[in-house]
Amino acid sequence: MLDLLWSGLVNVAQWKYLLPLFAGTFIGVIGGSLPGVTITMTVIVVLPFTYGLDPLAGLAAMTGVYVGGSTGGLIACCLLGIPGSPASIATTFDGFPMARNGEPGRAIWLGVWASVWGGLLGALFLVFLTGPLAAIALEFGPWEYFSLFVLAMAMVAGLAEASLLKGLISTAIGLLITVIGHDPIGSVPRFTFGSGFIGGGFPFLPVLIGIFAFAQIMTDLEKLNLPGGQATPSLAGIKLERFSHLKVNLEIFRQPFQLAWATIVGLIIGILPAIGGSASSVMAYDQAKKFSKTPERFGKGHPEGIIASEASNNANVSGSLMTIMAFGIPGDAVTAVMLGAMTIHGIQSGPLFISQNPDIAYGIYAAYILAHPCMLLICLALMPLMLRVTSVRMAVLAPVVLVLCIVGAYALNNTMQSVYVLLLFGVVGYGLVKLGFPLAPLILGLILGDQIEINLVRAIMTDANPWLFLTRPISGGLLLAAAGSVALAVWQHLRHQNRVAEETPDF
Amino acid sequence: MARMSVKMAGAAALISVLGALSAPAMAQYPDRPVKMIVPWAAGGDTDNIFRPFAVELQKHIGQPVVIANVGGASGTTGAREAKAAAADGYTLYAVHDYIHLTFYAGISDVKYSDFEPICLVAATPSVLTASSKTPWKNWAELAEDAKKRPGEITVGATLGSTSHIFPAMIEKAANLKFKFVSYDGLAPRMNALLGGHINLTDSNLTQKGKVEAGLLRYIAIASEKRDPESPDVPTLKELGMNIVYEVARGVMVPKGTPAPVRAKLEEGCAKAVKEPSFAQAMKLQGTRVAYLNATDYAKFLAKIDGENKVVMTDLGLIKK
Repeated sequence: MLDLLWSGLVNVAQWKYLLPLFAGTFIGVIGGSLPGVTITMTVIVVLPFTYGLDPLAGLAAMTGVYVGGSTGGLIACCLLGIPGSPASIATTFDGFPMARNGEPGRAIWLGVWASVWGGLLGALFLVFLTGPLAAIALEFGPWEYFSLFVLAMAMVAGLAEASLLKGLISTAIGLLITVIGHDPIGSVPRFTFGSGFIGGGFPFLPVLIGIFAFAQIMTDLEKLNLPGGQATPSLAGIKLERFSHLKVNLEIFRQPFQLAWATIVGLIIGILPAIGGSASSVMAYDQAKKFSKTPERFGKGHPEGIIASEASNNANVSGSLMTIMAFGIPGDAVTAVMLGAMTIHGIQSGPLFISQNPDIAYGIYAAYILAHPCMLLICLALMPLMLRVTSVRMAVLAPVVLVLCIVGAYALNNTMQSVYVLLLFGVVGYGLVKLGFPLAPLILGLILGDQIEINLVRAIMTDANPWLFLTRPISGGLLLAAAGSVALAVWQHLRHQNRVAEETPDF
Repeated sequence: MARMSVKMAGAAALISVLGALSAPAMAQYPDRPVKMIVPWAAGGDTDNIFRPFAVELQKHIGQPVVIANVGGASGTTGAREAKAAAADGYTLYAVHDYIHLTFYAGISDVKYSDFEPICLVAATPSVLTASSKTPWKNWAELAEDAKKRPGEITVGATLGSTSHIFPAMIEKAANLKFKFVSYDGLAPRMNALLGGHINLTDSNLTQKGKVEAGLLRYIAIASEKRDPESPDVPTLKELGMNIVYEVARGVMVPKGTPAPVRAKLEEGCAKAVKEPSFAQAMKLQGTRVAYLNATDYAKFLAKIDGENKVVMTDLGLIKK
C-alpha cells in the first residue's frame, strides 16, 4: 500500500498532473474566498476543461479545487466577517473578532495552518482506512441520520452565547425557514400563501449570505458616523501585525487532542453523505468549546475556535472522498461532479475501483495530499494582497462586497429568486442582530431542518415502529450523546454564570 | 444641430452595419455558440449523456454547444428557463420523461408541448435492483416473498418521478404491494440499498461495478431484449410482464423556433448520434443510442405523455 502511495505521489509530481492540480487549487482558493461562489460552482467551471485532459489530470484539478475551496472560505470569514463558503461558517465566530482585535494575519494563518494539518491528518485516514471507515456510511439508515441531527441540534445549547432562550428561539427560526416552500418528500406547498416567490422556498446559500453579509455590513456601516468612526467598525486602519508562522504552528500543536478531534469530527461528517462541510465546521466548533479549558473565550477571537473549524472542514473533504473511492457513491455535489468526470472517461466506479484502477485511485490520494502544500504556497503568495483589504475604506469595501454577494446568489441558479431571498434575509438578519439573537444556532437549524424532516419521514415510511430510534445501537447511542451534550452545556452555562456573578463586585 | 446630425449619421451607419451583419446571419444559423440547458446537476446521468452528445453535435453544426446545468425543483427550474428562452435556436433543452410526470404531478406548469421536438437521442433501460442483504436471487423468489408479505418490501424512489413509476408498474403487473420510501436521486438510493435500509430500487446499468462486487443484485431489466453488456439479467418481458421502461432523453427547442433552424439542428443531431465515439460513451452509461427524427419524436412524445397520464392516474398521483 505504501509503495502504491509512493508511486502515486511520484506520478502526480509530474508537471502534467502538478500543473492542473496547482491551477485547480488556485481557482479553488479564489472561488472559496468569494462569498456566494460555492465550491460546487467552482468545480463545475473547471469540469469542461478536464474532458480534454488525461483523466487523472482532470481529477487532480478537481481535487485541488475542493481542497483550495475549503481553505479559501476562511479569508472572507476573518477579514469581512462573512463566510466565503458555507463550509467555513464557524471560522467567522472567532476569526473575525480576532482580526478586529488587531491580529488579522494571525487569524488567517491559524486557519490556513489548521487546514493544512487537518487535511493531512485526514489524508492518513483516507489512505489507510478508507475501507472500514466508508463502511460506516452504509450502517447509517434514516434512524441513525435522524439521531445524528438531533445530536447536532443539541449542540445549539453550546452555541448560544449569552441567553439560552434567545439561542433556542434562533434555532427555531432556522428550522421554520426550512419548512417554508414545497416540502422535500411529497412536494406539497407549505406556508406559501399561493405566492410563487415563497413557493420556491428559501434556499440555504442566499439565506446564509443574506443573514451574514447584510447583518455584518449594515451594523458596520451604522458605526461609520459615530465618533471614532472608521477604526472601530471595520478593520481599516489596523496596522498589519508582525506574526510568525512558527508561533502559529506552536499554537495549533499546543493542543494536539483538539486538532485530532476536530479532524475526526470533520472526517465522519464527510463520510456521511448529504451533510456537508457547513455542519462539520459548526459541530467541530461546538466540540472544541465543550472540551476547552476556556470555553468563555470562544466567540471573542479564541484561536481554538478557528483551529477546530478549519481543521474539520478540510478533513471533511477527505471523508467525502472516501465514499466515492470505496463505493462510487458521491457524498456531496463536488464528488458527484468528480464521479461524472470518471464515468465520461470510462472509469468504472464502485467497490472494485481501487483494485481495478490503482493508478487513478492512488493518484487521487496523492493529488489530495499534494494539494495541501500547493494551497499553502498559494496562500503565502496571496495573503499579503488579501490582507490589503483591511486598508480599504468601508465606504468602498461595503458596496463591492454586497454586489459580489448578489452576483453570487444570482449565479447559484441563474434566477432572480435567489437575489430576492438574499435581500429579504439581509433584513431579517439585521433585525435579529439588533435584537441580540445569536446567528449561529439559526444557521444550524437551517442546515439541518430539511435533513431531519426527510430522515424522520423515511424512517417512519420504512418501519412505523418508533422504538427503532432507541433500539438500533448507533441511533440509540447518538440520542444518548445528545442528552449528554445538553446536560454538559447547561452545566457549563451555569458554572460560567456563577463565575461571572462571583467576579462582579457589588456596587 | 451639427452635433445632432453627426450622431444621427453615426446611428444610421451603425444600424446599417448591424443590418448587414444580421442579414446573412439569419441565413447561416448558427453564427454563435449554442446553449444547451441540462435541467440537472453536473455529473448526473442526464449530464453524463448530453455532454458527450454536445461534443458530437458541435462538430456538425459548426458552433460550440455549451452545457448549462440549471438544476433544482425536480428539473422544473431548467424547464421553465428553457420555455422562457428566445425561440431562435440558440437555446436547446435536454429533456427526459420527467417533463410529463412533473406536469401531471402538479409540480410544474411546463408541458412537453411548450417545445418543438428536434430529436430523440438515447434511451436508458430501467433495472429493478435488489440489496445483497435480501435473500432473493431472482425474480421468482422475490415475487413469492412479496406475495407472502404484502406492503412490507421497501422500495426507495423519488416520489412522483421515473424511479417511482417503474416499480409501481411492476407492482401492478405482478399484482404485488410494495412499500415506497422517499429517496431523491440515485446516489442516496444506492447508499441505502448497499446498507440494506431499503430492499429494492430502480437503477440502471451504470451501477454494474457494484453488482460485480456482489453488493447489489440486478433482478430484471425493462428493455425489449437482454443487454449484451449484462447478458445474465433477464428482461421483464421474459418474466411474463409486458413492461418496457426506458428513460428516453432527447433535445427540444422553445415553441416558435423557425423551421430552417430546426431542420439544421435535426440534421446535426442525426449525424451526431451516428458517431462511433458517441456510441462508446453511451455504452459506458448503460444506455442505447435511440435516434428518432423530429416527426417521429413528436409522435413518441405524444404517446409517452398519454401513457404517463394513465400510469399517474392509476397510481393516484395525478393532480392535473
